[in-house]
Amino acid sequence: MTDYIQNPVLWALLIVVLAAVALIVRQRRAARTLRQEFADLRARHDELENGYAKSVEAAQERADEATKTVLKSAMRTLQGLAAEQQLIVSRLQKKYGESVILQDLLEIDHTNSQFGRRAQSIAVLCDGWLGRQRDVASVYDVVRSAQGRIRHYRRVEILSQVDFGITSRAVEPVALALAEMLDNATSYSSPDTVVEINIRTVPKGICIVVDDAGVGMNDEERARAEKLLSSDRVSGVSRLGNPPQFGFAVIGVLAERFGFEVSVDSTSPYGGVRAVLLLPHDLLTNAPEQKEPTPAAPAVAAPTRGGPEPGPAPSTTVDGLPKRRRKRPMAIVPGSAPTASAPSRSGAETAAIMGAFQRGTQSGRRATPADPAEQSSSTRGASSEGHEFS
Amino acid sequence: MTGFDELEPQTPELVRPYVITKGRGLPDEEQLSLITLVTAVADRQQRPTRLSPEEQSLLELCSAGYLSVAEIAGHTQLPLGVVKILLAALTEGGYLITRPPVQRAPVADREILEEVLNGLRAKFG
Repeated sequence: MTDYIQNPVLWALLIVVLAAVALIVRQRRAARTLRQEFADLRARHDELENGYAKSVEAAQERADEATKTVLKSAMRTLQGLAAEQQLIVSRLQKKYGESVILQDLLEIDHTNSQFGRRAQSIAVLCDGWLGRQRDVASVYDVVRSAQGRIRHYRRVEILSQVDFGITSRAVEPVALALAEMLDNATSYSSPDTVVEINIRTVPKGICIVVDDAGVGMNDEERARAEKLLSSDRVSGVSRLGNPPQFGFAVIGVLAERFGFEVSVDSTSPYGGVRAVLLLPHDLLTNAPEQKEPTPAAPAVAAPTRGGPEPGPAPSTTVDGLPKRRRKRPMAIVPGSAPTASAPSRSGAETAAIMGAFQRGTQSGRRATPADPAEQSSSTRGASSEGHEFS
Repeated sequence: MTGFDELEPQTPELVRPYVITKGRGLPDEEQLSLITLVTAVADRQQRPTRLSPEEQSLLELCSAGYLSVAEIAGHTQLPLGVVKILLAALTEGGYLITRPPVQRAPVADREILEEVLNGLRAKFG
C-alpha cells in the first residue's frame, strides 16, 4: 500500500482525476447556466416576436382604418356629387324632354349612375354611407334600378314580376348588391348574350335569380367567391388586388349587414353562373301603390305647341282635375266625358260644352285624312260664289 | 349607415328613364308628334305581363279612347321624349294604334279673299 503511496504516478493520477472531476463539475454548472440563459433568451425572443407581430398587426390595422376613413369621406363627397348630378340630369330631362337632346341626357344619366355605384361600392367596403334612404319600392323597380347601374343594361332581361315591395331600409343595399351581381354576369359573358333575371316566390321569401350565358367559374374562382360572400372574408379595401375586384366583397358585406343571402354555387341552364339573391320575409312588404305624381313637379312639358286640343294643360291640375291619377284616364271621349267637369261651371253648362266638344272631336275623327283637298275645294267654291256675286 | 340627409330632401328617382325606355332611341317626328292621336287596340283584352308598369299604365290610359301624345305625357310624370319612345314601342308591338293629326287646311289665297271682299263691297257697299 505504502508502495503505492510512495508512487508519484499514483499521486499524479489522483491529481488528474480530481482535476477532471472539478472540470466536469464546472462544465456541468456552466452548461446549466448556459441552458438557463438559452431558455431565457428563447423566452425573450418569443416575447419580442409576439410583440413585434402584434405591433405590426396593430400598425396594419391602423393603416387600414386610416385608409378606410379617408376613402369613406372621399367617397361620401363623390356620392353626394353623383346624387346631385343625377337630380340635375333628371331636371334637364324633364325640361328638354321634347328635344333630341334627351337622348344624350339619358346617356349622361347612365354614365352618372355607374359612377355613383362605384363610389357606393367603395364606401360599403369602408363601412361608409350607402346613400339617402329610399321609399318602399316594388321588387321589380329595385331590380330595374340595379339594372340601370351597370354598363350593359340593355343585355339584361327581367322575365317575371311579383307583387312584393322591399322595405325602405333594404332598397338601396339590395339594388347595389344586385347591380354588382349583374355587373359580374354581364362582364363575364359574351357581349351578344342576354342575362336573364327571374323573380320567384319561395317559402323563405323571394329569390332573384340571375342567369348568365358566360363561361362559368372554375373551382378556384368559386372558392374565392364563396369566401368573399361568407363572413370570414378579409375586410377592407387593401387586399382586393389590382385591378380591384369589388363585386363579391361588396355583396358579402351588404348581405351580412342587411340580412339577405347571396349564393353563386350553381350553374345556369346556359352554362354560365347562376347567382341567387334570397330576400327573407323581414325585408319584404306589400307592393307600394303607383306613385302619385307630386303637383309641385315642374315635370311635363306643357303641350302648347299648336295642338288642336292642348286641352286641360298640366297647369290646371291645381284645381283638382282627376288627370293626375293614372288609373282614371280622362279622355274626352264617349263614356268618360262627365268626369272632366270644371268646378266653376254648372252641371248643365258643362254637359253642354262637353257634348259640343264631343260631337266636334267625333266628327273630326270620323273624317278621312283626305280632308284637305275637300276643304280647299270648298274654299274654291266659296270664291267662285264670290265671283257670281260681282 | 343609411343616413337621411335633411338638407336635401329630394331623392333622385329609383328607376332611371333610360332603363324604362330600355335604351331605345327617339321615334321620328313624323311617326309620333305632339298631336298624334293614340289609342289602345280594342280587341286585345288580356294585358301581357311582360310589359313594364309604365307601359301598362300608358296602355290603360289610352284604352278609353284617342288621346294626343301631349296629353298622355301630361298624365305621366315622365319626360315627354320617354313617353314618345314607350308609345312608339307599344305601337310596334301592336298594342296601340296611332293616327296622324289631320293636316292643316291650306291657308286661303290672299287674292281670292280680296276678290271676295271686292265682290261683297260691289254688291252691298
